[in-house]
Amino acid sequence: MIGLLKGMATTMKHALDGKTFTVEYPETAPEVSPRFRGVHKFSQERCIWCRQCENVCPNDTIQIVMDDQRNGEQYNLHIGQCIYCRLCEEVCPVDAILLTQNFEFTADTKDEFAYNKEQLKNVPWYKGIDPLNSRNPDRDAWIGEGDGEVDYQ
Amino acid sequence: MAGVLQGEVLLPEQIADLLGLEGALGAAVGALIGAFVVGNVMLAFTGVAGPWAKRKITAAFTDRIAVNRIGPFGLFIIIADSVRLLSKELIIPDGADRPSYDLAPLILPASAMLGFAVIPMGSLGPFNIQLADPEAGLALVFAFASIASISLVMGGYASNNKYSLMGGLRAVAQNIAYEIPLIVTAMSVVVFTGSLQLSTIVAEQSTTLVSIAGVSIPAWFAFVNPFAFVLFLVANMAEIGRNPFDIPEAPTEIVAGYQTEYSSVYFVLFYLGEFLHVFLGGAIMATIFLGGPAGPVLPGFVWFVIKIWAFFLFTQWARSALPRVRIDQLIEIGWKGMLVLSFANLVLTAIIVGVIA
Amino acid sequence: MSVELPADTDAVQTPEEIADLLGDLVIGREEHLNAPGFVIKPDTVVDALRRLRDQAGFDHLSCVTAEEYEDRYESIYHLTSYDDRTQEVSIVVPADKENPVSQSANEVFRTADWHEREAYDLIGIEYDDHPDLRRILLPETWQGHPLGQSYDQDQPQVVPLREHQNPLLEDQKADNDSETMYLNIGPHHPATHGVLHIKTVLDGEQVVDLEPDIGYLHRCEEQMCQNSTYRYQIMPYPDRWDYISAGLLNEWAYARTAEELADIEVPEYAQIIRTMGAELCRMAAHFLALGTFALDIYGDFTALFMYSIRDREKVQNILEELTGQRLMFNYFRLGGVVWDLPEPREEFFEMTRDFLDDLPTALEEYHDMMTSNEILQVRTVDTGVLPPEVAKSYGATGPVARGSGIDYDVRRDDPYGYYENLDWDVVTEDGCDNFSRLLVRMREVEESAKIVEQCIDLLEDWPEDERNIQSNVPRTIKPDDDTEIYKAVEGAKGELGIYIRSDGTEKPGRFKIRSPCFSNLQTLPEMSNGEYVPDAIASLGSLDIVLGEVDR
Repeated sequence: MIGLLKGMATTMKHALDGKTFTVEYPETAPEVSPRFRGVHKFSQERCIWCRQCENVCPNDTIQIVMDDQRNGEQYNLHIGQCIYCRLCEEVCPVDAILLTQNFEFTADTKDEFAYNKEQLKNVPWYKGIDPLNSRNPDRDAWIGEGDGEVDYQ
Repeated sequence: MAGVLQGEVLLPEQIADLLGLEGALGAAVGALIGAFVVGNVMLAFTGVAGPWAKRKITAAFTDRIAVNRIGPFGLFIIIADSVRLLSKELIIPDGADRPSYDLAPLILPASAMLGFAVIPMGSLGPFNIQLADPEAGLALVFAFASIASISLVMGGYASNNKYSLMGGLRAVAQNIAYEIPLIVTAMSVVVFTGSLQLSTIVAEQSTTLVSIAGVSIPAWFAFVNPFAFVLFLVANMAEIGRNPFDIPEAPTEIVAGYQTEYSSVYFVLFYLGEFLHVFLGGAIMATIFLGGPAGPVLPGFVWFVIKIWAFFLFTQWARSALPRVRIDQLIEIGWKGMLVLSFANLVLTAIIVGVIA
Repeated sequence: MSVELPADTDAVQTPEEIADLLGDLVIGREEHLNAPGFVIKPDTVVDALRRLRDQAGFDHLSCVTAEEYEDRYESIYHLTSYDDRTQEVSIVVPADKENPVSQSANEVFRTADWHEREAYDLIGIEYDDHPDLRRILLPETWQGHPLGQSYDQDQPQVVPLREHQNPLLEDQKADNDSETMYLNIGPHHPATHGVLHIKTVLDGEQVVDLEPDIGYLHRCEEQMCQNSTYRYQIMPYPDRWDYISAGLLNEWAYARTAEELADIEVPEYAQIIRTMGAELCRMAAHFLALGTFALDIYGDFTALFMYSIRDREKVQNILEELTGQRLMFNYFRLGGVVWDLPEPREEFFEMTRDFLDDLPTALEEYHDMMTSNEILQVRTVDTGVLPPEVAKSYGATGPVARGSGIDYDVRRDDPYGYYENLDWDVVTEDGCDNFSRLLVRMREVEESAKIVEQCIDLLEDWPEDERNIQSNVPRTIKPDDDTEIYKAVEGAKGELGIYIRSDGTEKPGRFKIRSPCFSNLQTLPEMSNGEYVPDAIASLGSLDIVLGEVDR
């Protein structure tokens, strides 16, 4: 009997302290880590069309189309198929593709998730966090010396 | 003290008087209107309890917020939920045994509603809310309450689903095992009162048991015989199939038991019926152990409502904290434990009453 | 079927002694990176395995790997010992290319039942004397064996039921005299923890026979890994095997195997971070196991489930700070980890310490609501009993084995990472029942907390200029041709092993996952037969399976 009463006392304690653990989601947007990996942001100005991201992608999410002079024409990324492993960002030598913290994306059909380079460019920062800053300390290990300022717009 | 005294005028007669009707017509119209009012009040309670209060209470126990978007405190979820449930497609399985499949969800709420007919709910203003006060009121209310298990068996059998069947069979086993201790324990109260009439039982409890420092404790049978009260509480939880005795439904074992195959309106009826039975269980507890509608300051009816809601709260509390027992353990507790204890209680009570009186 | 107890013998030490023991059964020798390999004839499997089990103490058939080569089929039995995990031996059984038949090991190790069915299903080797050689992961109507070389991907893979023996029709034929009832629990059922189908035969409420039917969540994980490069592309996938927040533990299984295969060093600092991350994952996974077990016992949406989710959430917040993600971490890399601790480090340490400080209070609540609860005790004590010999025969590992009193933990017995240098204990309980398994998990959370705390202390004092998170690893990894390795780590559910055979390219030639849940789930009929349905459900909950890992 004591055990049963202890259990009931525990739940009653939780009921009476009035604290809640859940949050009201759209009103209270969650704090996400700067390392969080959300929808990609792409900068054509920075991209050198080396196709490393396309090669490293584990499930062929990135598709790059180039003309015969090896100039980039299309950069397509299916954000509904992506597994958000961040390998593309990791191999990119010029920080042309970054994963923002933006995790809120919706579409009516799956096809709408196939983003082209314009759509990828227009992906907003989440709460204005530029993930590059927070990831910078360790990026040198991957991409060598960066050249400072990055402009994605 | 707003106790209801025996022989007081009942609600149907009062309504008939108010309308100026007399004789058989007055009795019929009064009874209909009275039943309509009482029934709707009880349905309103379940309406509040099912979609809203249950969520809010469970959320409080589990550190969540729960419904709060529609209306004040999320209260309008009741309307939204009703529309949602009623507008769903009614799916009837191919092999369902039609008449009984359709009747089962009607019987469950109906039996509970019938039970409220004899419960004295105290007075509110000039009205004395009790529909009927027969001599054998207590026996009648138990009879009505136990019709519920017929509904569960019918639903379980007629659904032509193995999970439903198991749920229905479990319901029978459970009801048989706990009905007897329940009634035997209630009999120990009858030993005190010498009457099965519910208004008499309530009136008996309005006397003062002891006075401590000017606060008089009424002779509620819960105070007079707390052992019987606990026994009755446990048997009652099992009778209405609430945790830790919710094995006829047992969501993780047999999906939803007897109501697995019910959807839409039929599901609503089952759902309503279950909550009505919880409230009826609370009403029986209040009437025979907690002084019925008795209580200070507030009108009797308000106290009655507080008591049945307290019982509802208790069932939800137990739901949050107690694991479910296994079917064989449940039967064992019923036959080997509760039955013996309830008879012991009856005998002891009889001896004590015999010695004192 | 009775369980034969292995004789108590001194463990054979050297490969030569094993060769002597097997004697003329050996027709060839191979060298795997983890163990010596002995080639035997396909009709001497039982003989060889029995000798090894009874006379050399190899009582744990960890995994059965099968593969089709140009000239032959091959099954590899990875044997080790519950008493000494470092003792390993591989028994290689080649089978004829035209007529791939091999003797079943089911007689010696019952775990071979499902493992061989899987080999039959995916590769196409037929096992003689197998009690029930059917497809296991793929539907019965599947055509061909997809990991075999001659598999035609363009042919229709599934034929309609009307062109195939219809399993539905068979079920309808109820025997009129039958006293039993056939019940499908799942694939959609509140308590199957995913899409698991349990074929149950009931006598009243009691289980007469029970057979788990798996494969609903088969996602070709092995083949996906075979089509990915070692260096980068495989690592995101282990997160998706046991997706219940045990991601880092799974990643470690791949990292350990591949690092050993390609001879990659991992800096000590990275090992500590790995150890800390992995133990955080283990806590998160165990919290969920406790919560869902409570759900199975309590039945409704209970408070305890919510409380354990709350604690899991705290762990996930820490992991999110560390790895960037809450479930699919992709945090390990071959040769280290991808990121150092997040800056400012003090905040991270404080966050983790806060969680660890609150943990005893939370566990106290669990004990109040579960272990000291009388109803829970009568429900779980002496139900779902799994005797240690049976558990060993089925290759049960992890909390399931430790709940049966088997003192086996890969972290300690075959050390990796930084575990050797830390102070912690392997938790065992002797009850062999559902309650013991519950207790093991609860106490393992405490042990994990101890490990994390020590890691935090180490990381805090680590000199700033020696924080090397990754060793220098070449961009492409091409291990030598035909190198074989089988390595395991202690995942949240038990021994998670990976077998890789390299074929000289940058992608594995064969990638086999030994999932702990797969072996653990096999014990369910053993635990549940003769018990009530609620107890069978509770036993399933206490096994703590993740279908993503069972089906892969």
